[in-house]
Amino acid sequence: MTREITYVQAIAEAIDEELERDEEVILFGEDVEEFGGNFGETEGLYEKHGRNRVRNTPLSEIGIAGMALGAAVGGIRPVAELQFADFAATAGDEVFNQIPKQPYVSGGQIEAPLTIFAPSGAGIGAGAQHSQSVHSWLGNVPGWVVVTATTPYDAKGLFKSAIRDNNPVFFLPHKMLSETKGEVPDEEYTLPLGEAAVEEDGEDVTVVATQLMFHRAKEAAAEVDADVEIVNPRTFAPLDTETIAESVRKTGRLVVVDETVERYGTQGHIANEIVENDFFSLDAPPKTIGVKDIPIPLSPPLEQEALPSADRIANGIESLF
Amino acid sequence: MTQNVSVDDDTARDLLEEMLRIDIFEEETKERFGEGEIPGFVHLSGGHEGSHVGMGAAMRDDDWLAVGGARLIGQYIAKGVPLPEIMAELYGRVGGSNKGHGGQMHVSDVDRRLYGHAATIGSGQNPAVGLGLAEEMKGTDNVAVTTIGDGGTSRGSFHTALVFAAYWDLPVVFIIENNEWAISTPAESLSPDHLSDYGIPHNMPTESIDGSDVEEVYHTVAEAIERARNGEGPTVIESRVVRLVPHFEGDKETYRDEEAYERAKEEKDPIENYRERLLENDVITEDELEDMVANIEAEVEEAVEFARESPEPEPEAAYDHVYQLPLYGQGEEQ
Ligand SMILES: Cc1ncc(C[n+]2csc(CCOP(=O)(O)OP(=O)(O)O)c2C)c(N)n1
Repeated sequence: MTREITYVQAIAEAIDEELERDEEVILFGEDVEEFGGNFGETEGLYEKHGRNRVRNTPLSEIGIAGMALGAAVGGIRPVAELQFADFAATAGDEVFNQIPKQPYVSGGQIEAPLTIFAPSGAGIGAGAQHSQSVHSWLGNVPGWVVVTATTPYDAKGLFKSAIRDNNPVFFLPHKMLSETKGEVPDEEYTLPLGEAAVEEDGEDVTVVATQLMFHRAKEAAAEVDADVEIVNPRTFAPLDTETIAESVRKTGRLVVVDETVERYGTQGHIANEIVENDFFSLDAPPKTIGVKDIPIPLSPPLEQEALPSADRIANGIESLF
Repeated sequence: MTQNVSVDDDTARDLLEEMLRIDIFEEETKERFGEGEIPGFVHLSGGHEGSHVGMGAAMRDDDWLAVGGARLIGQYIAKGVPLPEIMAELYGRVGGSNKGHGGQMHVSDVDRRLYGHAATIGSGQNPAVGLGLAEEMKGTDNVAVTTIGDGGTSRGSFHTALVFAAYWDLPVVFIIENNEWAISTPAESLSPDHLSDYGIPHNMPTESIDGSDVEEVYHTVAEAIERARNGEGPTVIESRVVRLVPHFEGDKETYRDEEAYERAKEEKDPIENYRERLLENDVITEDELEDMVANIEAEVEEAVEFARESPEPEPEAAYDHVYQLPLYGQGEEQ
C-alpha cells in the first residue's frame, strides 16, 4: 500500500523513523526544534523525540559540522542539518578537510557515521548564495558519499540509508521539490546508496538527471521525437557508472543534465566516464547541459535563464540525431 | 629557592620519566629526520613537555584527547600511544598507528581515545565538543580534552567550539598551550591579557598557569576534568610555556630575540627544572635518574628498530579506508 505525501514530509518521516529505530541517532541543526526547519523538513520531530535527541544549535555551520564529526567518532549517529547547501562553504574546513579525510588518515580507525543534509538547488529566487547545487564540490573530495533525491520516494528511502551508512553522507534534497507530492509505501523501506535507478525505459537516447532536472528531463522527453531512457544516479559519489554505461550501450546516445555549473560540473565527469570506457557504444558525441557559468541570479527570468529548461534539454536531445 | 613536591613520590617520578621519554624520543626523531629517514616535516615540543605530561597524567584512559597546535608528538606519547607505533607512523610504515596513512600530524589511536589532529590548526576543537556530546549521550562520565596553540585561538572555529560547549555545558577541557609564537607571529600582540580570557564571555572557569611546571598543569587540568565529569561544564586553561625549539626542523628562527631566548632556556625548561626539584627533595637519586634515562633510550632504540623493520605499505593500500565497504552496509557484515 502507498499514500501520497510531500517531499519534506518524506524527509521528516525518514528522520522520525530512524530516531525511533536507533537510540544512537540524534538530529541537530539551526532551528530544527519547534520551528521545524526552513522548509518544514523537521516538523514534529522535537515534540515527539524531545530535547535530548532533537537539538537546536547556535548559528554556526563550523560548529554543526565539526560537532557532528566528533559525535560520530564518539559513537553516536548524528544527523546534522545546514539550512542551505551553500553553507557547506561556511564550514569549509570541516566539510572539505576534516570529515571526509579523518577516516582515511587514521588508517581506517576512525569511523564517521554521520549524515549532513542541506537543501540545494535554484528556482525559488533565493539568489547566488542560497541557490547552488554543491554535489560537484563535494564529489571532488573522496570520502564523502554524496546523495540527491528526486521524488518523495527517493527522499525517504535514501535518507534512511544515509543515516544507517557508516560513511559520512552528504544528502542533498532540492528546495524546489519540497512541496511536490509522490507515492510512498506505507511500510518501512530503504533504498540502496551507490546505485543508480533507471526511471523511464527508452531505446534511442539515455538522459541522466536528478532532482529538479529529472522532472525537466521528463518534460523534455515528452516533447521530442525520440524514445528517451532516463537514469537517476541518486548517488553522485561514488557514482554507479555501470548502470549508466549499460543504458548507453543500449541507446548509443547520452545527454547529462545537471544543476551544477557547466564549467567543471558533474555532467562532465559522467560523460567522461562513458567516453573513456565505452566510447564505441556511442553513436554521437555526448551532450552535457548544466547551469550557465554564472552565479545564480535572483530575478526569476534571470534565474530561469541560468538553469537548464525543458526546452534546452529537448534541444540537447535532438542535437544528437 | 627550592620548590616543594606536591604529588607523591611515585607520581613525581612518573611525571619526570614521561617528560624524559618525550625528550629522548624527540631527540631521536630529530636525528632520524635529519638523516632523511622520516618524510614530510617535523614539529618538536621542546619546552612543552611539562604541559603535555601534566595534562596526560590528569586524564583517565577513557577520556578523549583531541590534539591541536603543532607540537604533537609529545601529546601522543602523553596519551599512551606505544613508541614503536608512533615512530613507525612517522616513518610512514605499515606498523604505524595509522598504517602510514597519517604521519606526524595525524597519529590517532581510537582504542586509546586519541582522536588525532586536525592539521588545519583549530579544527579539532569542534570535534572535541562532539566527542563530549557523544560521551554525555551515552551516559558516561568521560571527558574530552582538547589542545590548541596561541596562534590557533585566532580562528573562528576555536570560538565556535567555546559557544557550542557552553551552550550544552558539555564535558570539554580546552587547553591553550601559549608558547608565545605562532611560527614567527608573537602572541604578545593578541589583545587578551591571558588567552584563557576567551572563556570569560561564556561564563566558563578560566585559568592561566605556568605550563612549564608539570605539577601545576597536573593539578589544574585534574580539577577542570573533575568539574567536567561532575556535569559542571567546560573550562579554558592557558598553559604558558616556552618553545625551546624551532617551529619545525629547519626553521632558522630569525625572528627571535637571542637574549630572551637564552634566558627562557635557562629558566623555563620544564625537564631541567623538575629534575633538579626531585633531586633536591630527595625524590630521586642521580643513579636512579641514570637508570631511567638508559631504560628510555633502550625503549626509543627499539621503537626505531621497529619502524625501520616495518615494511613500506604496498602501493595498493593507498586505496584503502576511503570508504567503508560495502557501501550501504545495512544488515550486512562490514
Ligand atoms: C588553519 C591553518 N592555518 C595555518 C596553518 C600553518 N601553520 C601550521 S602551525 C602554525 C602556527 C601555529 O601556531 P600555534 O597555534 O601558536 O601553535 P604552535 O606552533 O606554537 O604550537 C601555522 C601558521 C595551519 N596548519 N592551519
